[in-house]
Amino acid sequence: MTDLFSGLTQEIISGIALGSIYALIALGFTMIFKATEVVNFAQGELMMVGAYVNFFFVTTFLSAAGTPTAWTFLVALGGSMIFSVLFGYILDFIINRPLKDQPIFSIIMATLSLAIIIRAVVAIIAGPISLMPFSPFGDSTVTFGNIVVSLLDLSIIGSAIGLVIIFYYIFHYTRWGIAMQATSEDPIAAQLMGIPIKRVYALVWIFSAIVATISGILLAPRIALLDTTMGFLGLKAFPAAVLGGFGSIPGAIVGGVILGVIETVSMGTLSFHFQWIKEINDIIPWIVLIAVLMIKPNGLFGVEKVKKV
Amino acid sequence: MKGRYEDENLYWIPVLIIFVFLLPFILKGLSFSYKYYLFVLNMAGIYIILNVGLDLLSGFTGLVSLGHAGFLAVGAYTSAILVDQFGVPFALSLIISPLIAGLFGFVIGFPALRITGMYLGLTTMGFGFIVKRMIIAFREWTHGSGGLDVSSPMLFGYTIKSDWNNYFLIYTFVIIAVIVGRRIAKSKIGRAFMAIRDSEQAAEAAGINLSKYKMLAFFISGIFAGFAGVLFAHTSSFISTDHFDILLSIYFIIMVLVGGASSIYGAVLGTLFIVLLDNLFVPLLKDQIHFWFNTQAGDIQSLIFGLIMFLFIIFQPMGLYGMWLKMRIYWKLFPFNPRQRFT
Amino acid sequence: MKRVMGTLIIIGLLAVGCVKRAPAPGVTDTEILIGNVQDLSGPMKELGAVIPSGSNMYFKYINDQGGVHGRSIKMLIEDHQYNPQKAVAATKKLVEKDQVFCLYQIIGTSPCEAIRPILSETGTPLIAPATNSGTMSDLSRQAGDLIFHTDTGYDRQAEILVGYILNQNSDAKIGLVYQDDDYGENVLEGIARAESEHEITVQKESYQRGAIDFKGQTMNLLKGGCTDVIIAGIVREPVTVMKTAEAMNYKPNFFGTGPTVDARVGKLAGSAGEGFTATYWAHMWNSDAPGAKLYRELCEKYDIPEPYIGLYHYYGFATAQLLVEGLERAGRNPTRKSLVRGLETLKNWDVGSFPPITYGRNDHAGVDKVQLVQMQNGEQVVITDWLE
Repeated sequence: MTDLFSGLTQEIISGIALGSIYALIALGFTMIFKATEVVNFAQGELMMVGAYVNFFFVTTFLSAAGTPTAWTFLVALGGSMIFSVLFGYILDFIINRPLKDQPIFSIIMATLSLAIIIRAVVAIIAGPISLMPFSPFGDSTVTFGNIVVSLLDLSIIGSAIGLVIIFYYIFHYTRWGIAMQATSEDPIAAQLMGIPIKRVYALVWIFSAIVATISGILLAPRIALLDTTMGFLGLKAFPAAVLGGFGSIPGAIVGGVILGVIETVSMGTLSFHFQWIKEINDIIPWIVLIAVLMIKPNGLFGVEKVKKV
Repeated sequence: MKGRYEDENLYWIPVLIIFVFLLPFILKGLSFSYKYYLFVLNMAGIYIILNVGLDLLSGFTGLVSLGHAGFLAVGAYTSAILVDQFGVPFALSLIISPLIAGLFGFVIGFPALRITGMYLGLTTMGFGFIVKRMIIAFREWTHGSGGLDVSSPMLFGYTIKSDWNNYFLIYTFVIIAVIVGRRIAKSKIGRAFMAIRDSEQAAEAAGINLSKYKMLAFFISGIFAGFAGVLFAHTSSFISTDHFDILLSIYFIIMVLVGGASSIYGAVLGTLFIVLLDNLFVPLLKDQIHFWFNTQAGDIQSLIFGLIMFLFIIFQPMGLYGMWLKMRIYWKLFPFNPRQRFT
Repeated sequence: MKRVMGTLIIIGLLAVGCVKRAPAPGVTDTEILIGNVQDLSGPMKELGAVIPSGSNMYFKYINDQGGVHGRSIKMLIEDHQYNPQKAVAATKKLVEKDQVFCLYQIIGTSPCEAIRPILSETGTPLIAPATNSGTMSDLSRQAGDLIFHTDTGYDRQAEILVGYILNQNSDAKIGLVYQDDDYGENVLEGIARAESEHEITVQKESYQRGAIDFKGQTMNLLKGGCTDVIIAGIVREPVTVMKTAEAMNYKPNFFGTGPTVDARVGKLAGSAGEGFTATYWAHMWNSDAPGAKLYRELCEKYDIPEPYIGLYHYYGFATAQLLVEGLERAGRNPTRKSLVRGLETLKNWDVGSFPPITYGRNDHAGVDKVQLVQMQNGEQVVITDWLE
């Protein structure tokens, strides 16, 4: 019995770590959706670009400095952040500006084709060989009793929680955040009230690019080999964003963690004790998701929009 | 306004049908590699059948589906198993398998009664994964993820093999599908669909039974996709779970939207545009561009594809059909062009 | 009678003349076109770049020496993104539009399965499909007589591994981590055969292509008390499983199938990867076998960038040797049929890249044995002879 219990605890902790990965990516989805109602299918690719850029900075500084120190990683992080601000701004410029008055679906399509373009461009620049990213934490782990968590996972959990708190604060308690909410509610009215919605959109894309870059940096060492298919992780995080309620920032982390825990536990203890679970364990998250949506059609934290006739 | 323009000039429809059936002969006369072109056209034809159904669901009713590859898989595997393992004749399977796919659509319709928008998109995406998993789980019939060999279609005692014969088989059904799709769109059902898309509340107030029509939309869409699946399985003679990837579902919705949602012709045009672009023009264009030929060819290919799509969306957000309508109205009203008309 | 004989002779001569004047598609006086469909922008794009680069290196070497019967070899590559439907379209393009002489090294099991109808319709041979799946050498399947497989099937590899493990330790409890697709399906086939042969049960844990977390599976193996774990993955999977196991202080013997011989497994797994043993069906690229020596010479001669050199690049090179040998044997005026006949005459063909290969009318299987390669102090060391 204790065996089962400790096994489950370990799996839940690992699930939370995995879920935080999903949550980080989902956060990017959520922010863009919250302010512009656009589902950004290039979110995974933004993350991939972040990971590549950070890798580039780390290797450049390493070859300049010689030995890896905490500073190399911090300076590289700073460089990647600056890059992501620029990148977010450029994306806003090429996607949002021209399609401002078009139906939302056109923008979603534009993000889909943007995903293809980004993958191709990164592959052309970086070459076909996968990269081996560095982790600032190495392989070190932390042990509590008989539960093991790697330091990298802890940092992922920490940054997921941290970013959610920061962005929750920004969205709900700052002038710009309230402007964003107003814009998402009704862009035309917001514009009439004097909110510079172009700048609001640009800011949202920049935020989203920053989140994507941070998640890319943390995830790259986690997936061992870095290649352009990393972008497809975006599709795996999409359910997390939806489960939490699209457009809800705390929802992203709750949704991510729930899906992560379900995935790990169903792959682990559940399929160990029930053979038939093995046949279906990778769709259990989907079944749970559909069940939740049946009960709460707007996700766990989603707000139902009042529809007017 | 749109309806009036669409209904006149029916004379070009028979011309188009004749052209469709003459096309293989023209291609054969023009090029020795006509089989390759026919194959790509066949692929487009199958996707057209599916996308007509998807357009009725997503374009007309406004219910987004990101799991249509799942319906395609249901139709394909059902027919492959029925024909090859239970000895059901192909002609009969052509009726049964789409109905089964339609039933799956019916089941997916249940969540759609409550779930809308991107949430529904995700539910259907989950359906795509669940279908894939089920195919692997029923190993005895489907050979799991190893894939399944499928016999060629047998109709009236003839075995239909080769791209040439497949073309006529597929395009006969494409024409039927487009006609049926247009009839549905123009009927009471189609109007109800559009009313639901524009405003559920208004539609309900007007006496439209929401749950009935939403389920019906999924059912019809499932039937179209199942039909496409049957043709897919028997003309490609090998199916595996790799064929029915989530990316394919996303491609389908792209095809419908590029064509211009909520017009059947738009779905046809969009499908032809994307399939031909992806499988014919870009590979041929890439052959013209010889630089980086050996190792980076694939990336160049997807870059060209992505760029064309992107520029197209930026400059033609209304889709191909919208572009066509714009052009037509421009010429009709020639000296008095209302410039803001469709911008 | 004389008349009939005369007519026959004239017809015969005409026929010969026709054959001479109308060579097979893709063959001109100076060139032979070969078609290759790779994954250039999908999940296996890395292999799509590296494997053909190895083949092209050998073709260049042959072309520099004057080519095969005076013809140089040119390889055209198309992209299928690991999608069988796209693979069919790309193959059609190569066969119908570009008129290639034969197909070579198409990557992936389901893409190779999907193009079988094209092969049988046009009679185009497929040499050395780049998948280890045992279904490729099954002659009863459609177009089976046109496919020449070089690698030991995944099913054979898994069977041999189970046998080896039980030989070392007859009480071993074996666990398997497999990819839930066509690759895993073939491994499972071999495992099922081994299970019935040795009367054991193997604990099976699956993962999805593209999975990044293996905690659940590793925990299950630990709970199941597996002493030996076979990982049927590529690079990321064995690395992550071994690292996870090390963190949990769980230390079984880890084994892997063909694709895990990649040197990066050891590099990435670090101390966790110590003792990892993988099956390999060819000579190691850095071994002393004559083929491997030639390979390293050519790499130096043609300035191959360092990250390319290794297992997969060598694989491209070694299969290219087989193709060139087949073309040599196909004669001065090769046809698709004569290429098939030529390859079927291979008897214990050995240039020191693969172990001796024998093909015949009823045998298109190529290699069917493996050697085991173990990670020792960060170096890959061959620890066994050829196992059958």
